[in-house]
Amino acid sequence: MSYKIPMGPYHPALEEPYKLDLICTGETVSDAKLHIGFNFRGIEHLAESRNYIQVIALMERVCGICSNIHTLTLCQAMEGLTGLTPPPRAQYIRVVVAELERLHSHVLWAGIAAKLMGFKTMFMTCFELREKVMDILQAISGNRVNYSMNRIGGVNRDIDDLPAILAMVEALEREMVRTVIPIFTTSTTARLRCAGIGVLTREKAVSCGVVGPTARASGLPQDLRRAAPYAAYSELEFDVPVQQDGDVRARLLVRALEIMESCKILRQALTKMPPGEIHNGDSKIAFSTGTATSRVEAPRGEVMYSVSWKADARNPSRVHVRTPTFANMPAIRWMVIGARLADTPLIQASIDPCYSCTDR
Amino acid sequence: MSLIDSIPEKLGSTEPWIEKGGVHWLTASALNVRDLAKTMNALHARFVTITAYQLPGEEGLRLEYHWDLDGQLLGFPFLLTGNSIDSIYDLCEAVDWIEREIHEGFAVDFLGREYEPLLLRQGETPGVNLREEVKK
Repeated sequence: MSYKIPMGPYHPALEEPYKLDLICTGETVSDAKLHIGFNFRGIEHLAESRNYIQVIALMERVCGICSNIHTLTLCQAMEGLTGLTPPPRAQYIRVVVAELERLHSHVLWAGIAAKLMGFKTMFMTCFELREKVMDILQAISGNRVNYSMNRIGGVNRDIDDLPAILAMVEALEREMVRTVIPIFTTSTTARLRCAGIGVLTREKAVSCGVVGPTARASGLPQDLRRAAPYAAYSELEFDVPVQQDGDVRARLLVRALEIMESCKILRQALTKMPPGEIHNGDSKIAFSTGTATSRVEAPRGEVMYSVSWKADARNPSRVHVRTPTFANMPAIRWMVIGARLADTPLIQASIDPCYSCTDR
Repeated sequence: MSLIDSIPEKLGSTEPWIEKGGVHWLTASALNVRDLAKTMNALHARFVTITAYQLPGEEGLRLEYHWDLDGQLLGFPFLLTGNSIDSIYDLCEAVDWIEREIHEGFAVDFLGREYEPLLLRQGETPGVNLREEVKK
């Protein structure tokens, strides 16, 4: 006999509100239905009442973890409508902040995954490391969550003391190599809790259109930093980690390896950063009539903004946001089918879902 | 001929690609959304999203369908004079949530599928968020 177990919208296993209706036969999940929208904020509608300065502050609040990525994508789209190109130094600063954000997002996720595995010591270690990333972001921007770094045609703040930031990144990388990476890649606990569960096959990953580490853990080598480079990524060398198994462990390994790649990118960006201006001045910005689209590889995958403006209008006529979790979440259904009920919290967490982004 | 250059012919269009605002656009009046979805599936393109716009006055709505092909973002605009267009959910599983979201945000009917609530909660009206006449 099958029965339904509702998980959420408020549940100890979920970090944010959404709901999984799990259809179970015994302890095995035979189907699942997802419900979102519990914190829907109508931000796209709000954006239509904000000018080009206010809309950046608004979209920074779509997400509490990858806030910078939203302003970066929005500003790139608005730069397409204003004809402004950020100076080279600004492009490098954008890369530095984006990679620091990826680091703190991945380490945060690693901590939450460790907690769900029952590996509390690792949870504390990850959050201690995340604090160090947040310290670097605070040193650069003065803020820990909403950095206010991006503006149309550049960035708002320069990175003054590059050697100090580089030293912080190197210390962080040493700690990652010494503790986080070996434990996640070799520990028996991580292997037993993650290997072979929550499998998303390559075929299903393609048909669901998943993005980011979720796609790369199912054998799809897609990464916009490589396929459609933006900011200064075309001038930097890095690998795109891909795993073939499609299980929770593969998603864990992809993110662990991406932490190392982010450190590699950060070292290059901080070393190669050219001198010069960080934005295109404070002159009045003129929009042309039309629509521009921008895509960026956020920690969870591709973010896409479509921005529509009419010349001489004060506000955008439309801002559409497609977040990575919106693309990845429907795939959870296929990951949990056949899984043990006890594994579903970890499986749903393995896509690193962000309901704040999804309920934008 | 590159993969992207072969698409207009496969869709029976003589129009060229126009690169604008970060997207390769193909505008063809005779384009059918279901044929488009089948062609994109055959090319193993990744569905990205649909963006809906309400046009001024009585001009209706414009839906822009986006696929990614080897890192290139492709865009296919469709003008809706009424409130409906064929659903491609049966051809492309990835459109499920965005079709539901546009149905709720703009009151567009995607023909041939059923809806369950996505972002709107019980008792709220489709179109309440983004459709001008419903917002009023």
